[in-house]
Amino acid sequence: MTTRNFPANFKSLSNISDFIVTSSENAGFSPSDIYAIQTAVDEACSNIIDHAYGCENLGDIQIQVTPLKNGIQIILRDEGNPFDPDDVPDPDISSPLEIRKERGLGIFFMRKLMDRVIFEFSNKKGNTLTLIKYKGA
Amino acid sequence: MEFVITEYKHCDLVEISGRVDSYTSPKIKETLETLIADGHCKIVLDLKAVSYLSSSGMLTFINALKHCQQGKEGKIVLSNVPPQIFNNLELAGFHTLFEIYEDVVTAVGNF
Repeated sequence: MTTRNFPANFKSLSNISDFIVTSSENAGFSPSDIYAIQTAVDEACSNIIDHAYGCENLGDIQIQVTPLKNGIQIILRDEGNPFDPDDVPDPDISSPLEIRKERGLGIFFMRKLMDRVIFEFSNKKGNTLTLIKYKGA
Repeated sequence: MEFVITEYKHCDLVEISGRVDSYTSPKIKETLETLIADGHCKIVLDLKAVSYLSSSGMLTFINALKHCQQGKEGKIVLSNVPPQIFNNLELAGFHTLFEIYEDVVTAVGNF
């Protein structure tokens, strides 16, 4: 298990991706799965900055990576406002360009690209997001 | 993230390299908005050297496409889309909104 803290700002996204890509490579994932995991974590971190903290540099994002027998578990923690994924409807991916909505793509990507996505909140710990990807799933 | 703009007779080519994410997409947005405001509404976005494209990057392209299509014959097309980026564009349903070409020559020649 490896844990790292990153300042909750958009400049951190590149370093976060490097950390996630290296961890996924070490776990033996294929390049396409590594890109999927990178996408899910990048979108999750952007959401934490945009929606949980509301803007940049108001706290940290703690990322804990645990290799599993046949996959990887990534836990993201922040101390921002409670984030309820049910408040964000799925985007209508078939809607025409003129009425295409911008909200909801991040969570949509997380759910499509990972095998398990679990949002939790407690007053003591803040938001906890658990992402799990299995090899070959 | 870096980009190079080449002005052709019938369109502009924007070759992007590196990561396009929430940190870098505002710079691309500004560049595309400036191009469009200057009347350059026929644009090829070459993604050959893009290592990562987030949803914020995709939405930057979509918004630029909307602006371009407000004018007569305005259009943004993509070229050299890496397979993993195409997969995510497809997942989001954006692959049908753009014309996508295999290489720059074909994309530029389309205009």
